[in-house]
Amino acid sequence: MNGRWWRPELILALAVLLLGVFVVVGTLDVSTAASTLGLGPRFFPMLVGGAMILIGVFYIADVLRGGTGDPEESEDVDADAPADWRSVLLMSGIFLAFVAIVQPLGWPLAASLLFTALAIALGAEHRVRAAILGLVIGFGTYLLFVKGLGVTLPGGVTPL
Amino acid sequence: MNSFQLLMEGFAAALTWVNLLYALLGVTLGTLVGVLPGIGPAMTVALLLPITFTVEPASAFIMFAGIYYGGMYGGSTTSILLNTPGESSSMITALEGNKMARRGRAAQALATAAIGSFVAGTLATAMLVVAAPLVVDFAISFGAEDYFALAILAFTAVSSVMSRSVVRGLASLGFGLVIGLVGIDEQTGQARLTLGLPQLLGGIEVVVVAVGLFALGEALYVASRMRHAPPDVIPVGRAFLGRRDWARSWKPWLRGTALGFPFGALPGGGAEIPTFLSYAAEKKLAKGDEFGKGAIEGVAGPEAANNASAAGTLVPLLTLGLPTSATAAILLAAFQQYGLQPGPQLFDHSPALVWGMIASLFVGNVMLLVLNLPLAPLWAKVLHVPRPYLYAGIVVFAALGVYALNASVVDLVVLFLLGLLGFAMRRFGLPIAPAVIGMILGPMAEIQLRRALAIGAGDIGVLVGSPVAVVLLALSLLALFTPLLRKLWARRRTEAVTAPSQSE
Repeated sequence: MNGRWWRPELILALAVLLLGVFVVVGTLDVSTAASTLGLGPRFFPMLVGGAMILIGVFYIADVLRGGTGDPEESEDVDADAPADWRSVLLMSGIFLAFVAIVQPLGWPLAASLLFTALAIALGAEHRVRAAILGLVIGFGTYLLFVKGLGVTLPGGVTPL
Repeated sequence: MNSFQLLMEGFAAALTWVNLLYALLGVTLGTLVGVLPGIGPAMTVALLLPITFTVEPASAFIMFAGIYYGGMYGGSTTSILLNTPGESSSMITALEGNKMARRGRAAQALATAAIGSFVAGTLATAMLVVAAPLVVDFAISFGAEDYFALAILAFTAVSSVMSRSVVRGLASLGFGLVIGLVGIDEQTGQARLTLGLPQLLGGIEVVVVAVGLFALGEALYVASRMRHAPPDVIPVGRAFLGRRDWARSWKPWLRGTALGFPFGALPGGGAEIPTFLSYAAEKKLAKGDEFGKGAIEGVAGPEAANNASAAGTLVPLLTLGLPTSATAAILLAAFQQYGLQPGPQLFDHSPALVWGMIASLFVGNVMLLVLNLPLAPLWAKVLHVPRPYLYAGIVVFAALGVYALNASVVDLVVLFLLGLLGFAMRRFGLPIAPAVIGMILGPMAEIQLRRALAIGAGDIGVLVGSPVAVVLLALSLLALFTPLLRKLWARRRTEAVTAPSQSE
């Protein structure tokens, strides 16, 4: 990427600013005529949107001046490691694929595939074990929630 | 009826077989998710919100309370036995606790944490019993402008305390407020920010936000910086405390409790400041030079402070409807699912529920002590779960919780987008709690604001019309600008110190 001022955090700071603009513009079409007493439904969004724009400007300024937050620490995170974008993209892809297949394929199979694929993407060594665990979790949750707790989940192609 | 009688009735409700079972389920689940890295009580309660459609309110809150307290106990096990730094409120415990464990005193460290948590939890819950009716008496006359000012105080305090960078805390709050705006405006029936999607008319559900920001966000973040070495867990037997360790622990427990409860009750106080203060106090009071090498006082004090602050958080939540932590915000959402609004009226309208929940905190504490002392080796085993399976499982349960709501693919897409937001926030050091609080408290702040201005016939002055509101708004400004002033002051001082040396 180009220039010394460029930092990935700028995208998030810009997102704050743009979200503020979006809130202000997005509520322009909300009619105020509907309210007869006190403030209409546009007042608070305007307040929030305006505040977001202001915060966005300060945030961008802070990033440009070299300010940083503290990246979150967690037991399983190596804070000094460089970001592994491949894993993040891979996980995102797997999740979106799951979203695409969950309706036609049904929860048990789609969830099994989701678990197996994620476990392997995250570095599970035994692929067969990951697949077996995936099936147990996919079908187990389906049986527990649908048969046990009466929650509706689409069964899809599985004849359960 | 006085609060003692009400509490006794609460015990009668909490000690039925069904509710004891819910309490046991809650504390066990809570300890489990507290021990496991990557998930916590906030997300667990959020995932369980759908049960509010089928379970009695009293039983549900007894279970949620168990999860809430259990998470605190479980977190200490992780920070003592795992050789890697964890989340900030249990980090202080890890400072000495982890060193104790490495010197072969893991059993004592776990015991002083568990017994300290029990002592602090019990005492702080007793303080809650005393403090809650007092706050209720004071708050019963609060008007809409006072509630609006309270919400503003919660927003600013949480945003400025939770992060080293105020602008990042506020950005997180803003994300939450915007998420809270989506959907139909309750007063006028106007759709706002729904992008024309009918699925968004009802707003974005708390479960989706909490699970997206916490579970999916955490999983993506961990994936980006995974420790590839297997977890390094220190082996431990049954937790116990010798006579000498008792003698060294009981004073830090009491001091930690005294620090933790008031900070927990303050908006933005949280658990981090009192645990740190308790650590600093114990270090100062300690004789000898054991501190830094595994002093038991450094575990006993902060753990007690941590648990006492958890009880303190319940004071503003129950008496004012004011959440001051992410978990408290989710609990507030649970009350709303039942059509209940925490606040002074809750104590009037549903005393059985409130006092049953408070009584169950005492019961849950006893259960947690029993679960944590002899079963420590079992919880230690949980820490060995291979991380790829753990995080894959977390994502599957996140998807399950969201998909089970409406079987809607739109919800899953929103979940993914919020997961990306959660990932970005972690990566760039934006605290998550302000977003959750903003999302849940934002709509209530709007209602109170509009109510206040309607009463004042549109005159903005009504917002500072009562002394309580003025004080609260002044405190909000203070919360917002204190870090800034501190920074300016620190800079001036360093300039004054470095300027002469530079001119040489």
